[in-house]
Amino acid sequence: MRSLHLLKMEGEGFVPPSTNDFNLPPVFGDNPYTTKPILLVFLSVIVISIFFIMASRKAAVVPSKLQFAGETIYSFVRNDVARDNIGHEFMRFVPYLFTLFTFILTNNIFGIVPLLQFPAMSHVSFPYVLAIFTFVVFHYVGIRKQGIGKYLKDIMFMPGVPKAAYILLTPLELATFFIVRPLTLSLRLFANMFAGHLLLLVFILGGDHLLQGVIGLKLISPFAFAFGIGLTFFEFMVQVLQAYIFTLLTALYIAGALADEH
Amino acid sequence: MGVKDEGAAWSIFGYLLSGLIFWGGVGWALDQWLGTKYFLLGGLILGAGAAIYLVWLRFGRE
Repeated sequence: MRSLHLLKMEGEGFVPPSTNDFNLPPVFGDNPYTTKPILLVFLSVIVISIFFIMASRKAAVVPSKLQFAGETIYSFVRNDVARDNIGHEFMRFVPYLFTLFTFILTNNIFGIVPLLQFPAMSHVSFPYVLAIFTFVVFHYVGIRKQGIGKYLKDIMFMPGVPKAAYILLTPLELATFFIVRPLTLSLRLFANMFAGHLLLLVFILGGDHLLQGVIGLKLISPFAFAFGIGLTFFEFMVQVLQAYIFTLLTALYIAGALADEH
Repeated sequence: MGVKDEGAAWSIFGYLLSGLIFWGGVGWALDQWLGTKYFLLGGLILGAGAAIYLVWLRFGRE
């Protein structure tokens, strides 16, 4: 009974991680543009630039390890994402898709890099901006290719359907193309990064708190840390997958806009 | 699961979501307007049905 009471006492001091852990204060003074996520985004641009400049400088037929790594990522986006989905016009979109993939991937992985340890995409405004880019790109491409009238007609009126059904279906097509697509694109990335970061916080802060408790709790603490480490590997998988999904769906949306009828 | 299937899975999800949101929203608005209760439910069912029909048209026909 007494130990149970002690456990309860120990539990009361713990502040569980919450959305407040995502609102980080400015790093320099009180300039609101120098919060950690913003600085990390800038850092990611620098890291990506340096990596690919180093990887493509002194390009050789027999590649160095760095060149090989850079080329693997590039050819993955170019061949597996762009070419396989978009078709013969794919080359125009490789720069955008490649930038998107590396940018999201780097920022996501920052979530588990020691000391950085924050995925900028867990702030919803970053995925929103990326989704707006994709939204503008695929609609622009479709309108340029087919003309605005035909493009909208293809979206709104699917062939081979009785006329009355359009009352039901046309609003859904419009809602899907103009609202649900950009929204799900950004929210999927945001929610995955947000939940992942929160999950890691729970296990690692929890483990730390247990370590400061009575002896019984100290003994449990390593399990919390072990789980935290396991989840970190799991997070890595999610981070790569989310960068891939975002890029893949962008490529599929572009492909749909280019196709005569989707 | 291939790349194409993955894309299809997400666009099916998108259609179901827009079906529920759009026709559910219309039903909800009618309820607000007329002070009734059942249009929201009807709208949600109609939206889900329309979305499944659309998914079948798009992915199930060939």
